[in-house]
Amino acid sequence: MSRKAPNGLRTAGTGAGNPSSSGLPIISSDDMCPVCKTIRYLNKDMEFLINPECYHTMCVNCVNRLFNDGPNQCPYAGCHRTLRRKGFRSAFFGDLSVEREVDIRRRVAAVFNQVEDDFETLRDYNNHLQTVEDLTFDLVSGAEPRRAAAEATLQRWEAEHKAEIERNRRAGREADEQSRRRLAAERDAARHRRAEAVREAEEEKMERERTREAELDSLAQGAEGGGVGGPQRVQLKRRGQAASRAVEAAVGAAVTTAADVGRLSIRGLKEKKRGPAAEGPYDPFGGMDFVPSRYQVRPGLAHPGIDKYRLDPGHVTGGYSFDEHTARAMFEAFAGLGVFIEDEKEVGIGLDAGEVATISAGISAVGDRMELD
Amino acid sequence: MEFNIDDLPVLFPYPRIYPETLDAGGNCVLEMPSGTGKTVTLLSLIVAYQQFYPSHRKLIYCSRTMSEIEKALVELHALMKFRTERLGYEEEFRGLGLTSRKNLCLHPSVKREKSGNVVDARCRSLTAGFVKEKKERGEDVEVCVYHDNLDLLEPHNLIPNGIWTLDGLLRHGEQHKQCPYFTARRMMQYCNVIIYSYHYLLDPKIADRVSKELSKDCIVVFDEAHNIDNVCIESLSTDITEDSLRRATRGAQNLENKINEMRDSDQQKLQDEYEKLVEGLRGADDGRQEDSFMANPTLPDDLIKEAVPGNIRKAEHFVAFLRRFIEYLKTRMKVRQVISETPPSFLAHLKEYTFIEKKPLGFCSERLTSLVRALELTNIEDYQPLQEVATFATLVATYEKGFLLILEPYESDTAEVPNPVLHFTCLDAAIAIKPVFDRFSSVVITSGTMSPLEMYPKMLNFPTVVQESYSMTLARRSFLPMIVTRGSDQASISTSFQVRNEPSVVRNYGSLLTEFAKITPDGMVVFFPSYLYMESIISMWQGMGILDEVWKYKLILVETPDAQETSLALETYRTACCNGRGAVLLCVARGKVSEGIDFDHQYGRTVLCIGVPFQYTESRILKARLEFLRETYRIRENDFLSFDAMRHAAQCLGRVLRGKDDYGLMVLADRRFARKRAQLPKWINQALLDADTNLSTDMAVSSARRFLRTMAQPFRAKDQEGISTWSMTDLRRHQEKMGEERIRELQAERDLEREHEAAAMAAQAAADGRESDYEMDEEDEAQLMALDIPS
Repeated sequence: MSRKAPNGLRTAGTGAGNPSSSGLPIISSDDMCPVCKTIRYLNKDMEFLINPECYHTMCVNCVNRLFNDGPNQCPYAGCHRTLRRKGFRSAFFGDLSVEREVDIRRRVAAVFNQVEDDFETLRDYNNHLQTVEDLTFDLVSGAEPRRAAAEATLQRWEAEHKAEIERNRRAGREADEQSRRRLAAERDAARHRRAEAVREAEEEKMERERTREAELDSLAQGAEGGGVGGPQRVQLKRRGQAASRAVEAAVGAAVTTAADVGRLSIRGLKEKKRGPAAEGPYDPFGGMDFVPSRYQVRPGLAHPGIDKYRLDPGHVTGGYSFDEHTARAMFEAFAGLGVFIEDEKEVGIGLDAGEVATISAGISAVGDRMELD
Repeated sequence: MEFNIDDLPVLFPYPRIYPETLDAGGNCVLEMPSGTGKTVTLLSLIVAYQQFYPSHRKLIYCSRTMSEIEKALVELHALMKFRTERLGYEEEFRGLGLTSRKNLCLHPSVKREKSGNVVDARCRSLTAGFVKEKKERGEDVEVCVYHDNLDLLEPHNLIPNGIWTLDGLLRHGEQHKQCPYFTARRMMQYCNVIIYSYHYLLDPKIADRVSKELSKDCIVVFDEAHNIDNVCIESLSTDITEDSLRRATRGAQNLENKINEMRDSDQQKLQDEYEKLVEGLRGADDGRQEDSFMANPTLPDDLIKEAVPGNIRKAEHFVAFLRRFIEYLKTRMKVRQVISETPPSFLAHLKEYTFIEKKPLGFCSERLTSLVRALELTNIEDYQPLQEVATFATLVATYEKGFLLILEPYESDTAEVPNPVLHFTCLDAAIAIKPVFDRFSSVVITSGTMSPLEMYPKMLNFPTVVQESYSMTLARRSFLPMIVTRGSDQASISTSFQVRNEPSVVRNYGSLLTEFAKITPDGMVVFFPSYLYMESIISMWQGMGILDEVWKYKLILVETPDAQETSLALETYRTACCNGRGAVLLCVARGKVSEGIDFDHQYGRTVLCIGVPFQYTESRILKARLEFLRETYRIRENDFLSFDAMRHAAQCLGRVLRGKDDYGLMVLADRRFARKRAQLPKWINQALLDADTNLSTDMAVSSARRFLRTMAQPFRAKDQEGISTWSMTDLRRHQEKMGEERIRELQAERDLEREHEAAAMAAQAAADGRESDYEMDEEDEAQLMALDIPS
């Protein structure tokens, strides 16, 4: 029975994909149920179902009629599969061979679910993709022995890499979830902005209306001269407020996008595995050296001002080197040279990079806004 | 005449110049009134520049239609002839025009084909590389003699120096039995001037093949560029229908059969192709081959430089991949409601249902090209729909931003029978034009009507050096723009949706038409905002008897969407204008007539623009684009719509005036034009008096009568001299004046500079002083130290 199944299947597939090949005048499979021969004319909302066991189409009525009382044989001639009502569903694709292929792909993709990150070189990844594709092809359209071999490979792989598969599955789901959330957030933001724009336009219109009325009123009351300047000034002020609000919003957007970029995971090939780098001798200062750069302390510096202390027992005690004193004196003299506080204030080194970015984003946003106005 | 601009000797082919024509380039947007010699100015300037400086930068001159290309070539020809006469020797100079195979083919049977696609496909099947190989192997295949003769010539000297108009090229090809199309294509690298259509530079599908080898320092000019943003957008958009999907399925089926055949007969070739893909080699000459099937639709910067993914490397895998994608699209098309989604969400859905990842999808068109080449397919036109689908796949996988997918199941809101179309629309004009700005250092965008100029840099996202709108100098008021807002009964007229079908509005428009038909000599052109409105208003006029009234004075001709009917109407119109009967041409502001057909002199004495030609705002694609413009470039919807309407209106008005000795009336008939006056080009706006901006029909007619009466006075060319046309002496005087101004400016600048310099010197001195404080010699050091120590 199992040997016959692919044959039956193939005919079904080609029948759906290429109706003219059979030679019979076929009413489009969309319009007639092949089992009970009902046509769409008689039943307007006829719906077709398939069962992934054999992919034979039939209408809902037939499915109810045949499989209501438990499992039954497929009504197609020559197909002896036993079908259950639970297995029936409507097909996503018009071409049922593609539907079947996608079902198989779903299975394969659940097992071979490595992503590009899991490979070290692009070439490995591409080779992997090709082997998977070959295997899928064998499963979809290979001859019986190849199909069996592919099936076996699939199962072996599944058994061998159980943990890995599970891990990848979870990671994939998370990534999907994240991208979905990002999309939703973007859509929300866009909707929000749209509503905002509409509201603003509305407000401006109302405002214009109001000022016009106010102007008319003031004219009607006969206050000469002063009536015109007031409302205009108010409008200008309002416009300025609107502009500043827009700038704030832009800055906010810049900040959030920056945050998004930070969160965004950049995917690509996995780091190559390298041996640990050779370690040198341990350095407690982490590579920092304390050789002064601006001056040099010579040992045994001779200077009349200090020579006399060199031999003074009051200054020389155990564990104290006189050179230490000269070195320290030099250090203190030079510390702080080359640091200009005024300059640093201007440049704002004290701010961290994030703040600077925000400021510049704000500035550019202001620039845009000004151009518009 | 000959003169200098900034030490650049310019030879100008005509003995008189218009004073507008003094400018020098950069990245610029220029607006010049129509008929003042944009083309020849730019050409003579740039050619002079080319010849004067030894670097010999190439000029790429892009225009819109065939006839405009031909016109530019003729201008160039005249210019070069003049230069030769003036300089006394012939310069090493070569200028060529390029247009499609259809226009340049000489092959006896191919050139008789009607459709451009068929000509392309047949030409390819005769000239492709593998056809020649087969021929050499002694197989019996058809080849094109004209093309093969080219190989006998020196590859860099296929055609002698000189300017070749398209006709000239055809004649030369006929004489020497060589293919004009391929001559032009291959000689492009060796030319000084190339004149061709926008698409060769903007459409990535073609630009990659045609314009790849042009060097970086080329000067690019876009003429008639007021629609450049639409061209950019169209070049990256695709539409997919159910029919095209069906044919794509058939194409995929054919491809599969071919692969199976090939596998049985010539396994090696498929294997070779496969090996090449595994190595990630891209044939060095793949993209540049003149005969390649299709090029990658994405732009060079976005192209992924990587090997083709493993799961579409094998030919049969790829075909199955395509089939799956097509089936998916078919399923999506079955949906009966409008869907608009972004590429990322489309990709997510696609992945969920077909397990097609983004990456292989991006390689789709490249892989298809490679496969078609490996299979040596000749009847390429069968695969056109498949190619469309592949292009769509690559685009959707490459661009996340600036694109939108819109599925419209019904043609119109009232349609019952579904006819789904999947639009993949580009919303951002800047995407397509970006590589042009990146690659070429000087780009000039110019047209007769580009107001407001600042819109273009904003939409296309580029900085400008010069941005100039030139006004027109006229010896007399040779055109009279008017805005008519009210009918004779003082009721306001407008084509806004609420009032457009009211009888009073229709009658007022009708009386406007009759009045102007009475007073206008010869030809008169009337523009409507849409075909739909034109039809309804004509039928209403018929009922009111207005057409009969007009008929007494003029012949009535109507533009239709059909090109042949329209050209017949135009021909009749011209005859009627020439023999004195006079005619009215009723046409549409976005139609064929409004772009590129000139109504000079007696062909157009009045242009009447009925209604503001707004776009159809209910279109979903337009809505999406408006939203995109607001979000990205902060251009408000209404601003863009009115900008777009006004540039079309200005385009219509510009049809009537094609030179300084021409005259005409320009009537804008809508209440809403009064507020949009500032958006008209400078040269029209300048001529529009305040008194003429709010007229009623009778007032407009009386002032038009007065205008026509003045125009009827004899007008000698001498009157124009010194005002709107300059001779050599006038030019000298102007240059001197400009020079003096310049000197004054420079002096002022120098003064400023001197001040600056002084300030800088002082600052420098101060800095020096401060620096010197820090320099210490050893002795001081020691002294300081000594002080340090308490003694």
